Amino acid sequence: MNNTQSKLLLALGAIALAPAIGAQEVDTSDWACEYCPFQQGHEGDYEVGASSVSDDSAYFGNATGYDEEGAYGNLDGEGSYASGAYRMVWTVEDLGLDSRVAELEGSHAGKFDYNIGFRQLPYRQFITTSSIFAEAADALFLPNGWVRAPTTDGFTQLGSSLVSRNIESDRNIYTIGGRYLAGSRFSFSLDYRRQENDGTKIQGGSTFTNASLLPMPFEYVTDEVDFAVRYGADNAFVALSWYLSDFQNDNTALFWEQPFTGAPGADTLAQAQAPESRFQQVTLAGGYSLPELRTVMNLSASMGQITQDTELLPYTINPNLATDPLPRSSLDAEVDTTNFAASITSRIFRKGRIKFSYRYDKRDNKTTQDTWNRVIVDTFPDAGEELNVPYSFERSYLSLSGDYDLFDMLRVSAGYDRRDVDRDFQEVASQSEDTGWGRLRIRPGSGFDIDLRGGASKRDVDNYDEAFAIATGQNPLMRKYHLAYRYREFGEATVSWSPAATPISVSLTGLFADDEYTRSELGLTDADEVSVALDLGWSVTESTSVYLNTAYDTLESTQLGSESFAEPDWRADNEDEFTTIGAGFNIREIGERFDLQLDYMRSEGTSKINLDSAADAPAQFPDLETTLDYLRVRLGFRQSERIEWNLYALYQTFETEDWALEGVTPDALPLLLSLGATPYDEEQVIVGIGFRYQMGAKSGE
Amino acid sequence: MRLLSLALAGTLLACLAVGTAGGQEGPDYSREGADTCLSCHEDASTLAIFRTKHAVPSDPRGPFGHGQLQCEACHGPGGEHAGRVRRGQERPAIPYFHPAGTATVEEENGQCLGCHNSGVGFGWHAGEHPVDEVACADCHQMHIARDPVLQTATQPAVCFDCHQAQRTETRKAFAHPFSQGKMDCTGCHSPHGDQVATSLVRQTVNDTCQQCHAEQRGPYLWEHAPVSEDCTLCHSPHGSNHPGMLAKRAPLLCQSCHSQFGHPSIPYGPDELVTGTPSRFLLGQSCLNCHSQVHGSNHPSGSKLMR
Repeated sequence: MNNTQSKLLLALGAIALAPAIGAQEVDTSDWACEYCPFQQGHEGDYEVGASSVSDDSAYFGNATGYDEEGAYGNLDGEGSYASGAYRMVWTVEDLGLDSRVAELEGSHAGKFDYNIGFRQLPYRQFITTSSIFAEAADALFLPNGWVRAPTTDGFTQLGSSLVSRNIESDRNIYTIGGRYLAGSRFSFSLDYRRQENDGTKIQGGSTFTNASLLPMPFEYVTDEVDFAVRYGADNAFVALSWYLSDFQNDNTALFWEQPFTGAPGADTLAQAQAPESRFQQVTLAGGYSLPELRTVMNLSASMGQITQDTELLPYTINPNLATDPLPRSSLDAEVDTTNFAASITSRIFRKGRIKFSYRYDKRDNKTTQDTWNRVIVDTFPDAGEELNVPYSFERSYLSLSGDYDLFDMLRVSAGYDRRDVDRDFQEVASQSEDTGWGRLRIRPGSGFDIDLRGGASKRDVDNYDEAFAIATGQNPLMRKYHLAYRYREFGEATVSWSPAATPISVSLTGLFADDEYTRSELGLTDADEVSVALDLGWSVTESTSVYLNTAYDTLESTQLGSESFAEPDWRADNEDEFTTIGAGFNIREIGERFDLQLDYMRSEGTSKINLDSAADAPAQFPDLETTLDYLRVRLGFRQSERIEWNLYALYQTFETEDWALEGVTPDALPLLLSLGATPYDEEQVIVGIGFRYQMGAKSGE
Repeated sequence: MRLLSLALAGTLLACLAVGTAGGQEGPDYSREGADTCLSCHEDASTLAIFRTKHAVPSDPRGPFGHGQLQCEACHGPGGEHAGRVRRGQERPAIPYFHPAGTATVEEENGQCLGCHNSGVGFGWHAGEHPVDEVACADCHQMHIARDPVLQTATQPAVCFDCHQAQRTETRKAFAHPFSQGKMDCTGCHSPHGDQVATSLVRQTVNDTCQQCHAEQRGPYLWEHAPVSEDCTLCHSPHGSNHPGMLAKRAPLLCQSCHSQFGHPSIPYGPDELVTGTPSRFLLGQSCLNCHSQVHGSNHPSGSKLMR
């Protein structure tokens, strides 16, 4: 028997085996699953709690609802109900707080599913602010008897008129949606989300020489609808979807009474606020796989349109100024969007994989250009005329990459990306960026995994149009950082160790990016980022685990400016540093009844700014600092199989050093009436107790 | 050589015999399905699968639906694992999702994608996670009533196991409320992959941000060019040392692009803090004290973003 005969026999053997491996016809007639504890009926786990909060805090009240000193009652829990093919699960979270959540999901297996939910998200920015203004819908009024003055030191009524005014808002999110499965191939889904966001934000309101920081009331509503039809087969998938985002604003303008002595007739001023808008998008997406070639192809194409037709305010509401009629009573803005994406991923080679992807995005602002006659801050008409500038752009992104397993322990990867951007009405009409990168993934065994990657990119422009820059008043030497030539080097290394025999995991990651804007004489000239992170996790026993993670991150940049509107004559160096450490442990079943959990985190941020000016000696700003400490302890006690008590204690502090706010009382600046926000200096202790009760059957019963 | 030929022929016949004997083809499955498995695996963490969508007996598509392969639908044929072993012999591992198993990540993911292909699979192959050999089970836990990666409060911790740089950023003083458990990564990102850069849930960065911040969408009469292009030109969405998640402090952030003669190009130094001659170009909201419509203005006199 020669070699050919041997091969023939082996081939026959393979053919004989093939149907046996491929067939999945298993006789399951005796698989009764009689010991399977399927859920029937209701099961739930609910906790009623009470807590006490030691201090008011905007920072810690943000997103949590614990913004005021005092006692809080709370209800958390989750439950489920199952009956045959029907199943429902629900969650309630922080029901007693402004961060409450209630969500319900249900399904009939293989036929339909649905969800309904409510989330409230409090945003708390400042509780140290105060204002002289009284608020009514879209208007802010001065107090009775207010005496105007050219500067804040002339505001004789200021002290008696200031009223505490928190800068805060609440976002209520309502969701409802469902999916219907029409057979095994088709599905239809419809999801609706409504976000109501109202509260107060800080808004600057200025005239020619002075400004007031206003506590601006706002009330936004955004309705979103997602509708999709999907068809899925074994090797193909098609989806057609429609997305609507409808933004409504009750106050598309803000009127405020000017506290400073202003131009004649300019006692009340007006700003436009966010216009109402609508975004609709239709997307057709599909995928096709070729299993025999181990290849998957994806395509997606979207067309969308943003429209905005909010009525415009007049050039000015100053009755002393005569103005031309507006060219239009509303903008009638229209922006068309086009997005296209395609990718092919193939593992046609046993040890390799190649991927090609292409993406194209277009924003085509079709809003009509008109000539406008500006009134400068309600004080005097501008002699010139202006054309509104509807910005458009096109971006394309092409990527080709490949991986190959050189050895069992070594995979090499490489890729090339190209990005092109075309813009109109800007200094750079056409820009391209080429990126090359490589990667090594080494697995020497014993649970080690080493991942090294690095590369470089060059972003170039066809022409930085200095004439255009001059026409817009810019120094012709300025190179805006997102338009400028840039050379970037980047790299990342990760070493992780997770031995199979030991319940320990260690991971060390470092990355850097070094950007050089070597052709920029003004503007950003370089920016560097370095980040290092270390993670340790150890399951000491089945019931005890500990963790530690720490990270360091730094961002440095240099920019040049020109006070003389010529060559660079000042330089600013920014350095942001950030360090964080988190550690904790979790011990379960101490004496079979107690659990103890502790988490600690400290985060420190420091920002240094050095200024070197030709006119003055080099100077360093005081450091901007943020320091957060967080310590949380939970002690759980299992009274019985169904009853558990939890004791919580949380201590947290947050301090900032911020020269932009420090000492900036409402009248600290002669030409700025501020809200007197102060840097954060907050400390909060929360202690709480929770009674947890488990209802229904438990797993395994 | 003759001996080799005989051996090969014998192997062929043996294969044919195995393939047709016993009325059951392919790798050995257990004799009684889940009941076989549960005779040993009766711990609560295993049984929690029966509190999930994967264990609905009347779901014809689910692993525990009529005629389905129950535990072995995901873990693979368990006949060898459940069979008798001789004294001292190590019990063979179940093929998939076993600590001592030899299946590759791709093979284990194939077990999941066998059912979830049309919903997840196509995007998955186009994304970056398979390049990094991320297993479905690295993020998802099947044997738990509430998979942590599907819960808003617990999801970020799962993602941050690998995305440490993003965890670092979210711990900065000004960040979206990840640390408070009130925002999840999938609000913006699509971890199962698609063709959008950085796997976003919408087509572009701005489309994604404007799901919640639609008030910044405009289109304005007076647009601020970088705003309509990419929010991340000024903001660091995972977190920053600076209020508003800005990449840098104003006025220097603004002066990275604005160099017009007069106040935009003047360097504002520490002598213009409150302790010196305080400047409204530097303190409070800095440039935004006056140019408060930095995202765009819809006022006919708002070309300088002051109205």
